Amino acid sequence: MTEQHNNTIGIRKRERKLLITGLLFTSPWIIGFLVFQLYPILASFYYSMTDYNLFSAPTWVGLDNYTNLFKDDKFYLSMYNTLYMTIVGVVPHMAFALIMALLLNAKVKGQSIYRTIYFLPTLVPAVAGSLLWMWLLNSQYGFINLALEYVGIAGPNWLIDPDWTKPSLVLMGFWGTGTITVMYLAALQDVPKMYYEAADIDGASKWRQFWTITFPSISPMTLFQLIMMLIASFQYFTEGMVFAEATQSTGGPENSLLFYSIYLYQQAFSFLNMGYASAMAWMLFVVVMFFALVIFKTSAKWVYYGGDK
Amino acid sequence: MSMFRKKTLTLVSSVVLIGSLLAGCGSNANNENNTAGNATNTPEKPKEKVEISFWHTYTDADAGPITTTVENFNKSQDRITVKMLGNQDPTKQLTAISGGAAPDVLLTYWNNIGPWADAGAVLDLTENIASSGFDVNTIIPAAMDRMKVNDSYYAMPFTMSMASSLMYNKAAFAEAGITAPPETLEQLFDYAKQLTKKDASGSISQIGFIPDYPWIDNVFWPVLYGGSWYDEATGKVTPNAEANVQSIAYQRSFYEEFGQSQIDKFKSGMGKRGTAQDPLLTGQLAMYVGWEYNFMPERGEDGPIGVAPFPYPADQPELKGSGMVSPRAVFIPTKAKHPEEAWEFMQYLMSADTQVQYSLDGHVIPTITSVLDDSRLLVEENKTMWSFYERAKSENLNGFPNSSYIGEYLQSLSEETEKALKGTLTPQAAMDAVAAKIQPIADKK
Repeated sequence: MTEQHNNTIGIRKRERKLLITGLLFTSPWIIGFLVFQLYPILASFYYSMTDYNLFSAPTWVGLDNYTNLFKDDKFYLSMYNTLYMTIVGVVPHMAFALIMALLLNAKVKGQSIYRTIYFLPTLVPAVAGSLLWMWLLNSQYGFINLALEYVGIAGPNWLIDPDWTKPSLVLMGFWGTGTITVMYLAALQDVPKMYYEAADIDGASKWRQFWTITFPSISPMTLFQLIMMLIASFQYFTEGMVFAEATQSTGGPENSLLFYSIYLYQQAFSFLNMGYASAMAWMLFVVVMFFALVIFKTSAKWVYYGGDK
Repeated sequence: MSMFRKKTLTLVSSVVLIGSLLAGCGSNANNENNTAGNATNTPEKPKEKVEISFWHTYTDADAGPITTTVENFNKSQDRITVKMLGNQDPTKQLTAISGGAAPDVLLTYWNNIGPWADAGAVLDLTENIASSGFDVNTIIPAAMDRMKVNDSYYAMPFTMSMASSLMYNKAAFAEAGITAPPETLEQLFDYAKQLTKKDASGSISQIGFIPDYPWIDNVFWPVLYGGSWYDEATGKVTPNAEANVQSIAYQRSFYEEFGQSQIDKFKSGMGKRGTAQDPLLTGQLAMYVGWEYNFMPERGEDGPIGVAPFPYPADQPELKGSGMVSPRAVFIPTKAKHPEEAWEFMQYLMSADTQVQYSLDGHVIPTITSVLDDSRLLVEENKTMWSFYERAKSENLNGFPNSSYIGEYLQSLSEETEKALKGTLTPQAAMDAVAAKIQPIADKK
């Protein structure tokens, strides 16, 4: 009994030493986390309960910012615009990326060249890409409407008509799906070939093989992508800002491009309502968290991990 | 061995770097001490040089004139050195003045002064103006008024930025048989109809005038009708004053005449402003609201662009010469390390000689009334600016009142004006909506 006790102490000592060494080695990250992440997070939570203009000391207002948020038309409008991009944008983009990944996974001559070409747009900075697309989407001389005209369709006024500004951005989004595709490609290459061989012997069609082998096998990747894209989509900013600026306004035609983060930015830096903006940021956190949880909860039904039976 | 050397080298260079940083801090501290000491020193003693930092918004392409101005200042005396940093947009400026290391002087857009001053970030110039005997009455009132927040001046208008001109394509006028620019707003509307052409399919191929091109201007148009935004007597915001509503109804009439989708479609195909494809240059657009810096070379006597005073409402001839002023402002942050030297530099920027020279170099309107007639400006090479100097004397120039809630107010005006232009709301309802939205914010601040 005593011996055991002593032993435990000995281990504890060594453990503590190891712990200290470990902490010392990770201290740059820990300090960085505390100073540049945890502190700002806590500070923003505090500011969300205050009236703060960046200069004078914040004054405590309790939950006012949050209750005012629910009375703010533009809060709902910007949330709607953001949800639109999430719902209308994310799933088609992922489906497109998956199709491209399947194509780029096929055994074709010169495949690496196709892969490179397809990935290239992802390297273009968001601002430059948006400017390029504004040119393509121009309703008078843009390539897209010229192409539509060729097949007898009168193209819409993409950047000016409030009904079409968000679809323009969704359309542009397809262009930047290179990263998702590359990750899907990696997942596809991990699917054991023997499944397909077995399916071939059983005479399963390609379509059947996709739905029963490929899709379930890459479902963890789909889950990961869905969560990542959801977060990115809720923080949609740069492209919307560039498109809106083309119409010389902050929110685009009839505020159709007033995304949540753009409105947050406007409140913070144009109106100096830092407290309100902080509350908006926390609301965004709650909403993203909610959607992420829903996806995680339902994922048990459609995500299959390699180790599962 | 080589590994060791590398390490030593890194170590030595870090030490040197850190050392020099510390030395930099040290010398700065010395400077401050010296300046503080100098204030009480006798004037004969040579003063230590003070370095002040000056940030402006101009990009490298337009920074030439301001660079010359700063160089001239540095040469003009041996006490203050101004170090300049360009391309500092409002967000960067805001970050700097809210953080610990604020620049000493900044040049920004006039509408930032209200919110920043109200938040306590901008130095109130009342004392400086009084102690140095600076006469604010020498400055064009419309420009100086923009610097006023809660009855105090917080900045100086470095340039005018004035919209009170109509610019037009001379060839388009000649083709339509129009011999003189319109004088009244009603004429402007008529001419716009005559100058608009449609192709076989009924689409617009050339348009006379678009009231919200290049942007919805929520200040310019009400100014033309003698509008207002705030009533000091009652403390109420007045976006829905009759004149304001009239001005929006007037703009709406263009959409009623030419059609919303028609104008939108045509507008989206117009060339980029300020390029060789500028719609006014190509003749796609026949007339537009002009600022003093638009079409510098092209508006000469033989150039393709004509300039005229902007039309006024026919039934209100007393409003002739109306226009909007939205100056670039120079200000001192409250956290500036050398406010006195900064004020000295600001006075230099606002001196008659600087204003004249800057007007010649930068093609802007000086903001000092007496300078508008200065013989140095009235030289042949500067002829395209003459009519602008003349219009800058108008008593009907105006602008938006500066305040802490100016951002929200202007934003709301734009949003609601857009609805009125598209016809989803009547101009009256749109402006009533602005009043309803902004009054509570105004009451709070």
